[in-house]
Amino acid sequence: MVSAPFDYVAVGSYDEAVHQLARFGDDAKIIAGGQSLLPMLNLRLAKPAVLIDINGADQREPSVEGDLLRLPALTRHRTLLEHRLVRRHCPLVADAVRYVGNVRVRNRGTIGGSLAHADPAAEIGSCALVLGAQALTRGGGGQRVVPVRDLFVTYLTTALDQSEVITDVLIPVIRPRQGWSFQEMVRRTSDFAIVAVAARVDLDEQADFVASAEVALAGVTDRVVLAAPELLAGLAGTAACEETVAGVAAAIAESVDPSSDVQASGDYRRRLVRVLSTRALREAFGRATGAAA
Amino acid sequence: MTMRNLLLAVNGRDHHVWAAPSASLLDVLHDELGLADVRYGCGEGVCGTCTVLLDGDPVSACLMLAVQAVGHQVVTLQGLMRPGGAMHPIQECFLRLGASQCGFCTPGMVLTALDLVRRCGRPTRDEIRYALVGNLCRCTGYTKILDAVEEYAAVAEPPGGESAAP
Amino acid sequence: MTVVEQPSLTRGEPGTGYRVVGTSPAHHDFVDKVKGSLRYAADWRLPGMLAGRVVRSQVPCARIVSIDVTRARALAGVAAVLIAADVPSNRIVELASGGLAELEVAMPVLATGRVRYLGEPVALIAAASQQIADEAADLVSVEYEELPGVFDVETALADGAPRVHEAGNTLVTWEIHSGEVGTALAAADVVVEGEYRTQHVEHAYLEPEAGVGWVENGVVTLRVSTQVIDHAAAIAGILGLPLSKVRVIAAYMGGGFGGKEDMTVEPYLALLVWHTGRPVRMIWDRQESLLASTKRHPFIMRYRTGARSDGTITGQQVEILGDAGAYPCLSPRVLFAAAALACGPYRVPNARIVSSAVFTNNVPASAFRGFGAMQVVFGYESQMDMIAERLGLSRTEVRERNFLAKGDEIPTGERLATSVEVGESMRRALAMLGEPPQPSGPGKRAGRGVGCNRHPYGRAIWFRDRASAWLTLQADGTMLIRSGITDLGAGQAASLCQIAAEILGVPLDGISIYIGDSALNPPAGGTFATRQLYMSGNAVLKAARELRDRIAPVAAEMLGLPPGELVFADGTVSPRRRPEDVAATVSPSLTLAELAAACERRGVHTSHLSVWRAEAGSFDPRTGQGDTFPDYTYGTHAADVEVDVETGQVTVLRYAACHDVGRAINPMRVQGQLQGGAVQGLGYALTEDLAIEDGYPQSGLFASYLTPNSCDFPDVQVDVIESGEGKGPLGARGIGEPPIGNVAATIASAIHDAIGVRPTQLPMTPERVAALLDGPARRGPGGRDHPG
Repeated sequence: MVSAPFDYVAVGSYDEAVHQLARFGDDAKIIAGGQSLLPMLNLRLAKPAVLIDINGADQREPSVEGDLLRLPALTRHRTLLEHRLVRRHCPLVADAVRYVGNVRVRNRGTIGGSLAHADPAAEIGSCALVLGAQALTRGGGGQRVVPVRDLFVTYLTTALDQSEVITDVLIPVIRPRQGWSFQEMVRRTSDFAIVAVAARVDLDEQADFVASAEVALAGVTDRVVLAAPELLAGLAGTAACEETVAGVAAAIAESVDPSSDVQASGDYRRRLVRVLSTRALREAFGRATGAAA
Repeated sequence: MTMRNLLLAVNGRDHHVWAAPSASLLDVLHDELGLADVRYGCGEGVCGTCTVLLDGDPVSACLMLAVQAVGHQVVTLQGLMRPGGAMHPIQECFLRLGASQCGFCTPGMVLTALDLVRRCGRPTRDEIRYALVGNLCRCTGYTKILDAVEEYAAVAEPPGGESAAP
Repeated sequence: MTVVEQPSLTRGEPGTGYRVVGTSPAHHDFVDKVKGSLRYAADWRLPGMLAGRVVRSQVPCARIVSIDVTRARALAGVAAVLIAADVPSNRIVELASGGLAELEVAMPVLATGRVRYLGEPVALIAAASQQIADEAADLVSVEYEELPGVFDVETALADGAPRVHEAGNTLVTWEIHSGEVGTALAAADVVVEGEYRTQHVEHAYLEPEAGVGWVENGVVTLRVSTQVIDHAAAIAGILGLPLSKVRVIAAYMGGGFGGKEDMTVEPYLALLVWHTGRPVRMIWDRQESLLASTKRHPFIMRYRTGARSDGTITGQQVEILGDAGAYPCLSPRVLFAAAALACGPYRVPNARIVSSAVFTNNVPASAFRGFGAMQVVFGYESQMDMIAERLGLSRTEVRERNFLAKGDEIPTGERLATSVEVGESMRRALAMLGEPPQPSGPGKRAGRGVGCNRHPYGRAIWFRDRASAWLTLQADGTMLIRSGITDLGAGQAASLCQIAAEILGVPLDGISIYIGDSALNPPAGGTFATRQLYMSGNAVLKAARELRDRIAPVAAEMLGLPPGELVFADGTVSPRRRPEDVAATVSPSLTLAELAAACERRGVHTSHLSVWRAEAGSFDPRTGQGDTFPDYTYGTHAADVEVDVETGQVTVLRYAACHDVGRAINPMRVQGQLQGGAVQGLGYALTEDLAIEDGYPQSGLFASYLTPNSCDFPDVQVDVIESGEGKGPLGARGIGEPPIGNVAATIASAIHDAIGVRPTQLPMTPERVAALLDGPARRGPGGRDHPG
């Protein structure tokens, strides 16, 4: 089986991409890394009339501006793994991207593509969410900033307009007294996550207890989501001991209602949320205090 | 859909092919250029049998369009052969250590392993496992493949040496 | 005739005295594979070649109300759209057991009136490109009236169940009775009952089903990825052609594992080629293969085993239900093998085994490495561990008290004629693991398991199996081997070269082998049932010896020696060296080219065709007594696992496999079979499941079908026993299938040791293991918990 026929145009800038998207409307799809799109085309699950190739639209490298790590949307997963700025300033992403696909996927797949694809089990999406990242976009109406927490609408659907494309992803750099952790359960290394948890913990300025914490969940519903903040409130002011964390993790698990599929039942996913949230919060706290030391 | 004339650089030679814009790199390499070492295995990018090196980096040819490869260097397993028909040392390791049974996964395995050794020099066995995780094999159980890559890494030149050239 | 071949071998010494056999050269097809130059079935292009594809049913059980192909036929670039009415003889009748006991049920080539499984072929398309063929497939419009179906064996056997076929839902039931099992169980000190359930799994060879067909000189010629070229006869029947007008060529396969043992693309390719008169290529989509190619039979196995308090088995009662899917294929043979091997490598003096293949509206199940004798290992080995636990014996102890030995009788009344080294294999497998495993941290438990098996090699004896081989010593001393053998990638062809090289002394690189052509090669039978080394290996050995015996007198005369003093080696014929010859400087010798020339002058033929016939026998399905398989391969696996008690995830820490292969023709390839078979078995044990529900697989993607990868499975340590008593060439036993059988049982044994609860359902997913942990906790003997 091969894809249905389509036409192809390569653009040299995001403005050109937007122009082409507006021109072709719903008949067109952006191709960046192609690692999610091409399988759908190969299986004839999608039949766009035109592909707009944006690989040549941007040559920039990751950079740090103030307290933000600026990742061009076309940054390949492999760069997220290897680039010194990402490893230093956003170790959560550099760690989580080890779970993304394989060598071939990471050589082509991009961060912009991953966010725009909005897979509910996406590793990078969960990290971007828990770190409070923002997506810069360009569209028919010009540029805008979309916080990642507003980006994922439902299954494989984002808040982007039809002729809007992500150009940059801005992630707050890791701060002192901040810890992180990424935990994933997969049946085989490099598979799509059954459940993944990304956690961020910030310590109080003075003492080694939690000031704030955030947990993002992948694989539990139709999109990557943040655990409700009130569920994590119980961590504030504590030293994140085993019992406290277990209670918070149990509450997070209770708050989700995952559906069952071929890989796991809803109940088992809920169990994984509890187990992985526990491990993630404990590890994030440990990193925060270790970083503070 | 208008056919396009594409100039593809494959295994060090230029080829002019006519292809539809929607033609995959896999189909053009296999069917138009007759490269039997780039193989359809799944169309999803998960099995690794269509692996080629694009500017030295392993990619799934089934997840790239032929037109996207214009302006890049494509290398397939056959591109590793030396002038005069001698095998690349990594191929000799695979052959001697029994790392190939049915052989269908072999091109993808070899190219991916070669890329790893070029970048890392002496990868650990676990690093080799991780690099090859996207290349499925149903016959060998992987052990002899890992052995062959370890053996090659032990005799290969360090990264940056002659063997790092595509 | 006593031409020197090898000195006597002491038992267990690998390959002593052989020059080529027992070494591990990498040669022939393996060179092309590593170079990337081997042409598989899809690597063949002819001018004007069309793309073919199968159009498949979208529902699992339905009446076909209408099929409309007008829009498909009208699409530009479409050369043909065929439906059932276009098939001259639209039936495939398998009668796989040779007609001993099963219902005669035909399978249509293209569905007519009914579809019985999701993905059943309904129409065929040939078009100018794959893209047009795919589009045309979407334009074939089929109206279905869905009917109630049955999707598991228990429902299929219930009263009033919808019938998959008019003749009934039970395809065949095999029964084997020996002794008085009721009395034996009543007299036992313990009776252990267990029910074990296994899943649909997929071969998942990396090379999808593929082939190219064309018409040449009026002959429909297919070059396909197939284990069996003898299907040429069935193809001729379907097309209504004489047998002489069909030729099947088997390309080297990118894996087979039994999934290319039935016809795959052949009948559809043949129809399109014959109808259009043009070359056609057909490559199945991976997703199509996952959906609709044959699968391994899920089994329900119910065991009742009686034992005395010292652990010796008094009797065993076994009921096996196999889900055959919608059509017979090879189910009768699979369920027969299951019945014949249901008691494993143990003495079971009283047995009652009932094994049935049951139709459902699931995808047809057929051959898959292990073939019924594989699933039952999970049953009988689980029973042995449970008996050990009940009696407070160790797992090794209870097995040792029951292992079969040479000369013992098995439940079919046959006596084992060759050595049984299963005990030795168990000792060696456990020895490879070394010290018992310790858990790596809190929340982890570690355990060790063991699994023994007995696996047949060679076809059931009543098939009167034979294989032929044709050897030609050429004028320049090089050699041609022509054999109908097909090559799965395990060195089937290369092994024949090694045997010929051993006997005739032709250097390996002086041998060319031509295989798998139904027109040009002498028939060798299919590559299945772990039969090719046994059958074609013996055929080549016989042909080589006979050829040597014919030409040796010519060499003897030229060298002035008795033929018994000649050694064929390294491209020459020379005198056998004695210790006292050490002082001799130059011995007269002949090159094989010189010998060939001399034979030519004397009118002695240097080309020889030989047929090797396996022993014959018969089996009475009414009594369940008689001859089953020619011989068996025995082995044991052992494994250490760690279980994460929070997630249920099982990590295999160490894995060891030991089998008695009789004689290792090529030790490296033997290791490869053990390693590859064990890892394929680990997928079966832990991760692979097609998860078919109501006839629909729960996922259609290859990404969701979890075959083992390079990261999550350990290196399989291997050890090989060479007892030398196999019925294959030079004492070899078959090794292709046996190593996959032990794995699930070994892992279940290890998990049981780790967490105190026995998994009885495959695959042993983290979720299932977590459920076992959640249940009433029982610590079994030997379970180790982290001290922290």
